[in-house]
Amino acid sequence: MTLLQLAINGVALGAAYALIALGFVFIVNATGAVNFAHGDLVMAGGYVAVGLGAMAPLPMIVLLPVVAAIMFVVGVVVSLVAYFPLINRPPSTVFISTLLIGIVLQNVFLVLFGPQAHAAPPLIQSGILHAGPVAISIQALGTVVVAGVLIALQYLIFAHTQIGRRLRATAQDRQMAQAIGIRVHAVIAATFGAGTALAGVAGMLLANQFFVYPTGGIPLSVYAYIAVVVGGWGSIAGAVVGAMMISLFEVVVSAYVSYAVATGLLYLALLLVFFFRPQGIFGELVRRRV
Amino acid sequence: MLAWLFNGIRLPLLLGAAALIAYALFWAGPYDLRVLTICGIYALLVLGFQFVFGHAGAVSLAQATFFGIGGYITGILATRFGFPFLATFPLSIAGPALLAVIVAVPVLKLEDHYFSLATLGIGLVVLLLAIQWSDVTGGTNGLAGIPAIELPGLTISDRRSVLWFVWAIVTIGCLIAYQVTRGLHGQAYHLMRENLEAASSLGLNIAELRFGAFVLSAAYGGAAGALMAHVIHVVSPENLDLALMVTCLTMTVIGGRTRIAGAILGATLIVYLREWFRVLENYYMIAYGTAALAVLIMAPYGLVGALERLRALLFGPSQARTPIAVSSRIPSAQQKPPSTAAGPEPLLAVDGVALAFGGVKALDGVGLSCRQGEIVGLIGPNGSGKTTLLNVISGLAACQHGSVTFLGRDITNAPAYAIARLGISRTFQHIHLVDDLSALDNIAVARAGIDAGGLLRAIGTIGRDRALDAARQIAFASAERLGIAEVAMEPCGRLPYGTRRRVEVARALATAPRLLLLDEPAAGLNEHEQKDLASRIRSFAAEGITVLVVEHNLVFLAALAERLICLDRGKVIAAGLPEAVRKEPAVIEAYLGLEADATELSLAAPS
Repeated sequence: MTLLQLAINGVALGAAYALIALGFVFIVNATGAVNFAHGDLVMAGGYVAVGLGAMAPLPMIVLLPVVAAIMFVVGVVVSLVAYFPLINRPPSTVFISTLLIGIVLQNVFLVLFGPQAHAAPPLIQSGILHAGPVAISIQALGTVVVAGVLIALQYLIFAHTQIGRRLRATAQDRQMAQAIGIRVHAVIAATFGAGTALAGVAGMLLANQFFVYPTGGIPLSVYAYIAVVVGGWGSIAGAVVGAMMISLFEVVVSAYVSYAVATGLLYLALLLVFFFRPQGIFGELVRRRV
Repeated sequence: MLAWLFNGIRLPLLLGAAALIAYALFWAGPYDLRVLTICGIYALLVLGFQFVFGHAGAVSLAQATFFGIGGYITGILATRFGFPFLATFPLSIAGPALLAVIVAVPVLKLEDHYFSLATLGIGLVVLLLAIQWSDVTGGTNGLAGIPAIELPGLTISDRRSVLWFVWAIVTIGCLIAYQVTRGLHGQAYHLMRENLEAASSLGLNIAELRFGAFVLSAAYGGAAGALMAHVIHVVSPENLDLALMVTCLTMTVIGGRTRIAGAILGATLIVYLREWFRVLENYYMIAYGTAALAVLIMAPYGLVGALERLRALLFGPSQARTPIAVSSRIPSAQQKPPSTAAGPEPLLAVDGVALAFGGVKALDGVGLSCRQGEIVGLIGPNGSGKTTLLNVISGLAACQHGSVTFLGRDITNAPAYAIARLGISRTFQHIHLVDDLSALDNIAVARAGIDAGGLLRAIGTIGRDRALDAARQIAFASAERLGIAEVAMEPCGRLPYGTRRRVEVARALATAPRLLLLDEPAAGLNEHEQKDLASRIRSFAAEGITVLVVEHNLVFLAALAERLICLDRGKVIAAGLPEAVRKEPAVIEAYLGLEADATELSLAAPS
């Protein structure tokens, strides 16, 4: 395959990863905690798509709002179970509680869908478009478009709406937000919902080409985590860029060497980043107060 | 002896242990013996994990990796080279410990989430190596045929002997863990995981403490992995994957993350839960995850912590520890006598210090100096940079320009613990105390950076920890000087606010500082308490301790400070005698806006 073709594949995968990382960084900003169930919630979105596709034979683009809405509710439930009871404890406690949620989710998938991989229906239809030497599947193109629209939408919401301002105020200083009358708990629950909805949509998009299986979410949690660290802890734009870098790296290196080597080199690269730039490539946005 | 038995939850724990031993001796079948052996191996793994996660407070995700490496070292050396147990076991401990030493340098600098991710990354690289490097590791199938434990002239192969052997090693592990945590060194870990800033500004070297905990955890992990390899005769990538890491984390959280009994209880309970829930098949992991989550939410200190709380609820709090022998000679806070030849050299000199957060200049060329034994007040409106300046002096914030000189030495941007050990100690605007330690131990921790010695000294201590006894004596003397000796045995969490403030000052005093930095010490104190505190601070200065006080309360300062320095927007706008500074137009403007007069300023002082 040509490098151009690989780059296109990388961008298509990166678009889905970007949605995952975006949802992850939302929750990081609102709570200061790492949600280690995030990858499993991506899988949950994929499974919801698989289930809906079996019930209603419609293209996924029609079912997308339904998947997002269901996953929003799932996200709020996760926050009620794994975050709010632990709100006054150190962030590492939330890390552990979400890890446990992840285990529960993985085994719920196993019970409901079995250990085998499932594929969700395509966004519009399957097929491949050719443009000169490069080929791109309709699904990949759709993934890029859907992710682009959602990322633009979140930018507009954050920058230009009252809800977005409340979200940002809560992320920046929870006590101050509370003091000026923002219902901080509602905002946090909504952030969990929105972050999970993004993860779910990403799962729906990935579930057509890359399948869903019970433990498929674990590497995705790690990727989201890496994307956010590389992109600068708390930076939304950085998370998107970080996710793109990871997918390009993964696609290009696996094409030339192997998937295992790509993964290994990715982790080594991460450790090198830590060694030379402990604050991430683009610096850290969320600073702690002494 | 009887009192010892009834103190805390020792009695139920001992009864539980006795029941378990009796069960193993008289009723356990071959299968149960195997399960109990596995419990012991996990207990060892968790004991190690408690060092880094429980005591040092860092969520390492590499514990399973150390376990796996220990197993692989044993497996490779025993099956391919026929090494005996006496060679493989120490090497299986040394290997992971060596890896921990190597990665510690870059990894331990990282804060919370970065540290977790970096340790996870290391684990995943090792996992990939184990799978890919199949010539040596056997790939996904792993290595089979690892022999039973063989000591010279003794093969430990029947299940009962294996059980006793494993639990003997667990006992040694428990003893070492007890040694590490029981004395002053253990108290240092306690403060460090509650509050890094407070710990380092008291002279605790966080990097060193974390390093010790991390390497110890790796060594325990390696030992546990080696034993597991001998017991189940196989090592495979499952020995170092994330699922095992999650199991280890769950055991630690459920048992209790800092208690030795917690490690054993957590490991035994989780191993048995799995056995009991096996009938649930696929639903088993769901039930297990849910149960673990419930314990995490309902018992913050694990089951052992919950037992301790239950006991306190039923029978009242445990008796206060034996009252300490107060030495007849109250140790003076001042180690060196005030130098009689007070030279022209100031004790502390800050010159041109500048620090910007993004575009905000928190400090913009600040200069000041303090002579030995004087009390200097630092005033200024909110956000003028007072606390930031204290942070720069004490090493908690790094300045971008300028220099700080203390006792003629350049301490600009030196590590906080090193600055503290030179004789600068501080309190915080927001109280940073450990709520579940007594006031006395909160103060005694101040000596840990100076007197505790390292990890090896803690492990080698036989009998009472004299460093802890001495630290408590100094702490008691310090508490007396602040007038809080009567409440010294109370847990800090139960003390009223004003008393907690004084505990913090006593703690700063216990390091025997030359320079004491107080950040709003009078905040929230009533008038009587303020007067009392002011007179105590004056008595420190009379002994030659220099005091730099950040305060809003001008009434409090007026009775205390010999000089005032006023900051506004990161600059010194006035300095000199209190009366003069308070009349300075720039100061009045900074506090009250234009056209206010000096009498208003003194009246405006909050009381």
